[in-house]
Amino acid sequence: MRDRRPQTAERIQGERMLAIDFGPDGVVVIAGRLDAAQSPSAQAFLDRVEGTVTLDCSRLEYVSSAGLGVLLKTQKRLLATAGRLRLSGVNRHLQDIFIYSGFDQIFEIEPAR
Amino acid sequence: MNAPTDQRQLSARDMKAILGVTRALAAPFDLMTMLNEVVNAAKQVLDADRGSVWLYDAAADELVLEVATGIRPVRVPAGVGLVGACARKRQIINVPDCYADPRFDPGVDRSSGYRTRCMLTLPLVDHKDVLVGVMQVLNKSGGVFDVDDEVLAAALAAQCAVALQRVRMTEALLEGERMRQELEMARVVQMSTLPAVMPSLPGYDLFGTFRPAELTGGDTFDLAMQDQGLLVVLGDATGHGIAPALSVTQMQAMLRIAFRLGADLETAFMQVNNQLADTLPSDRFITAFIGLLDPSTHRMRFHSGGQGPILHFQAASGTCAHYKPTSFPLGAMRLSSLRPALTLEMHPGDILLVLSDGIYEYQDPAADEFGQQRVEEVVRAHHRKPVAELSTILLESVHAFGRGAPQGDDMTVVLVKRKAAATVHRTFRRRIDSIQEIFEFTAATFAREHVDARLLPSVDLTVEELFTNMVKYSPSSSAEVRIDMTRIEGGVEVTLTDYDVEPFDVTRSPDVDVNLPIELRKPGGLGLHLIRRLVDSVAYEYSTENRQSRITFRMTDAGPPAADGGADTGGANARD
Repeated sequence: MRDRRPQTAERIQGERMLAIDFGPDGVVVIAGRLDAAQSPSAQAFLDRVEGTVTLDCSRLEYVSSAGLGVLLKTQKRLLATAGRLRLSGVNRHLQDIFIYSGFDQIFEIEPAR
Repeated sequence: MNAPTDQRQLSARDMKAILGVTRALAAPFDLMTMLNEVVNAAKQVLDADRGSVWLYDAAADELVLEVATGIRPVRVPAGVGLVGACARKRQIINVPDCYADPRFDPGVDRSSGYRTRCMLTLPLVDHKDVLVGVMQVLNKSGGVFDVDDEVLAAALAAQCAVALQRVRMTEALLEGERMRQELEMARVVQMSTLPAVMPSLPGYDLFGTFRPAELTGGDTFDLAMQDQGLLVVLGDATGHGIAPALSVTQMQAMLRIAFRLGADLETAFMQVNNQLADTLPSDRFITAFIGLLDPSTHRMRFHSGGQGPILHFQAASGTCAHYKPTSFPLGAMRLSSLRPALTLEMHPGDILLVLSDGIYEYQDPAADEFGQQRVEEVVRAHHRKPVAELSTILLESVHAFGRGAPQGDDMTVVLVKRKAAATVHRTFRRRIDSIQEIFEFTAATFAREHVDARLLPSVDLTVEELFTNMVKYSPSSSAEVRIDMTRIEGGVEVTLTDYDVEPFDVTRSPDVDVNLPIELRKPGGLGLHLIRRLVDSVAYEYSTENRQSRITFRMTDAGPPAADGGADTGGANARD
């Protein structure tokens, strides 16, 4: 799966930036760091998605409370229209953060293999 | 006979003769030469055939006639014979016919074959009225000594007394100087047994110094790398001066050899103790700290024979632990067994302070002692400085405390400090966009200080949450935010300092309920909630003086304390 979105991964390689875009099979690929400075651009992107959306987090290195806010706001909006946000490829560190914040109870989380 | 010397005037000729003698006596002669000069001067001025000078030995209350170098001098008790009577009464005695005077001892003439006719005996009293000796001149050429001779002799005697006294004092000074030079040599030898250069041990800062109360002293110290580890020694023998200096120097040398021969701490301590017990005088002993530091485990094992307190400054808490001796002083009695050694762990920034009691017991003019508490205050205030500087500050503090009171005892300082990791810091503009630079700073610091990279996301998250809080809640401040990072055991300590702000203790903000249904969930407060679950500890300080907020957190691979458990799901305990 990783090799099917090389352009996204390469764009953030070695950078402490965030990239978010649609992958080839309709998933939303997020890569880099979802911190307070990058959250507005992630929010702007996710505000446009509809329905049931899988967010591929396998290249997401980092998320802070600002990033959690983006995910929470998106989930609330999608749930209101019978959609939802699924998180896939979640690494160990992100899993901890999602669990500590109770997000495991409001998101479907698929850990990284 | 007892001439009123001041009632007669000296003639011009006499004056000239005396001035000539005075000039001659001003030369820097040794004592024997000066005695000869004085006798010759007297013979010449008084036109006498022979003369002699007896020196007064105040300690023995005797008069001593130096006959010649190498021959035992003749001694006469003050008060005996003409010489003794003159010394006692401090008056000129003019005897025109010696064999008619009962005080005259003809035995001297009999043994020498000389015939004493007449004799003038006069006291030599210096300008400070100190009796220097007695001068005798014999056999006036062509007659007897008259009253004019007495006046002249009195004037001459005063000059001779001062000249002789000067020579005697000079010789005493020279003798003192010889003693001082020998002590100085002893001092050089003693000092040469101390480490001239402190051993270099990576990660440690070492310093020792010895300030004897006299030229030599009864303290010693050692800091030396041995196969067994870093050897740390402080010894303090009873008393100060040359005798205890010999004892401690002996102990220090024996210890070095014991460790060089591969002895462990216990063996070295016991064997050196037993050797000292066998050889030291029974009223002498040595209090001593003997420790071995393993630089790989940072553990210091030590025995202390009567040496204490031993202070261990602990950087993490900023306090001093103190240890008592493990045994009685070395050399006090033989040992057949020993209590287990004590072990202390040197953490980054920790300092071991072994100080002789000359520091703790330094007295001010009111006889108050410097004491352990003042030592601890100095260490707390200056522990971040290099230990050589800390030692200087400590000794200066002791002297300042003494307010001019003399140093009563030897003072020795031995300091072993495990270096604190270097703290790196940077300041960041107060805006959200700065977090990119902050992450570059944290990543670079992790790489340079070799901090476990797995901790980086949690450290970044904590820093980001605290930093964004500062940006959001104190937007009016234009000051930059400072971040300090220090490597600690298994992780890192980070401090964020926010200047010119109102106090706001984020660590006290209420926790969020992460188990609410999604419709009731709000993003706010999550940052602090997460921090509490990630850090080992977090502390907030505010300084009203410079309106400064400081938040310090520690994060290590040991993880947060069990109560907040790393495995805590948040859901389990937040509701109950």
